[in-house]
Amino acid sequence: MWRWIKELDRVLRGEATRLSALKGGTIRIPAIGLTVVIVLLGLLAGFCVGWFAIFNRTPPEYRQVLASALKVPLLFLLTLAVTFPSLYVFNALGGSRLSLPSVFRLLIAAMSVTLAVLASFGPITAFFAVSTENYSFMVLLNVALFGVAGLLGLVFLLQTLHRLSLIDEMTALPPLPSAQPDAGKDAAQSRGQNDPAGALDRVPGHVLGAHVKAVFRCWIVVFALVGAQMAWVLRPFIGDPRLPFVWLRPRQSNFFEAVFHTIQSLFR
Amino acid sequence: MTGFALHADMLLRGTPEPDAARRPVRVLLRLAAFLVIGGALYGAVMGTFGGVAGQHVWQVVFSASKVPLLLLGTFLISLPSFFVLNTLLGVRGDFGQVLRALVAAQAGLTLVLAALAPYTAFWYASCGDYALAILFNGGLFAVASLAGQFHLRRAYRPLVARNPRHRLLLRVWLVLYVFVGVQMGWVLRPFVGDPSLPPQFLREGAWGNAYVVVGRMIWSVLTR
Repeated sequence: MWRWIKELDRVLRGEATRLSALKGGTIRIPAIGLTVVIVLLGLLAGFCVGWFAIFNRTPPEYRQVLASALKVPLLFLLTLAVTFPSLYVFNALGGSRLSLPSVFRLLIAAMSVTLAVLASFGPITAFFAVSTENYSFMVLLNVALFGVAGLLGLVFLLQTLHRLSLIDEMTALPPLPSAQPDAGKDAAQSRGQNDPAGALDRVPGHVLGAHVKAVFRCWIVVFALVGAQMAWVLRPFIGDPRLPFVWLRPRQSNFFEAVFHTIQSLFR
Repeated sequence: MTGFALHADMLLRGTPEPDAARRPVRVLLRLAAFLVIGGALYGAVMGTFGGVAGQHVWQVVFSASKVPLLLLGTFLISLPSFFVLNTLLGVRGDFGQVLRALVAAQAGLTLVLAALAPYTAFWYASCGDYALAILFNGGLFAVASLAGQFHLRRAYRPLVARNPRHRLLLRVWLVLYVFVGVQMGWVLRPFVGDPSLPPQFLREGAWGNAYVVVGRMIWSVLTR
């Protein structure tokens, strides 16, 4: 278990996605181990979201805490299950040489970034859940925090894809002359230019083909849309205190319409 | 005691702690002690509005414990996200220094508050209006927060010079801290204590959301 958490740490620090670490054309992480970590982080994040039902219902609804804790990992795993086949197919069509396991590992890594950020927002969510009675505020706060976490995961996905395709190009071309260390620059700076320290840093230099970029953008949009709607299907995560507890609500409306109505009702 | 004053002086001047590299935990604990002492001093003075006779002495005790609680609570709630964001942006190696800068800024804030406490006492002695007392305290907190900002930016300067990413992270920290801090201040009311009411640690029915309250006020003014 500890080993897997260390793997998560490597991903977050960007060690797993350095150009030197991606040499084999794939991201080397234990997919199963990280999936376990993702589930645990999701349980933690969902647990914090569910606190609202303890402090704003009489009697407290503990089932909602359990439901929220289970639903957050489920949300991400189901989104992955729905989008993975098409992501792989379009990726292959776009001309990337990533294999099926590589794409899967890449998505797991990006998801672990999202869930690490989301779980770290847990104390903030829990604090507001305890001290707020306003349901609309909690919904919008959670949408914002999930949005930030998702965005960071997608930036990670995009940057890692970019790096992987750089490696792809490098191996396709004849070996480049090794970079001469510039005497005028310090070691940290020259390393920073060739091999970025952070997981989200942009690697300068090569420009990708237009169609590959288009595929990447589609990845992002599809992933975000499916994730948002999946959250809507799995609702309630917070639980409107005026309504009785249910595990799942009936099918109606959609995510974006609901967010719009929640903003309208915030100050009423 | 002299050592204590010496360290407080170093903190205010922004002199780097000589034993920061060798004993990081000890330095952090010392800074946290400044935070608690400075906050408690100001809080105690802030709670004297209703007087110190009889049960009103409890308001002094409550306020003295609430000011450090406000800062430490906000700090601890915001810290996990900030840690993950620092890691993700590739500056995890600097986090020890970042942590010291954050705690030192809050300790500096409370020392400034403690130094301003005589003004509060003077104001209470010369004006008995409850609303004005709250306003005056709010003003002093604003002054102390500006001093804390100044402190934080000074401590961040070498970090930003090493990696410009720290500038962005500093802004992220301020957003996180203020966002949580406003709500924390709202939840922990009353700080001054209405003299016509019996002292309480937390006001009954005071839970709620500061942002929603302010938003409703603005909304009601706009739609009047």
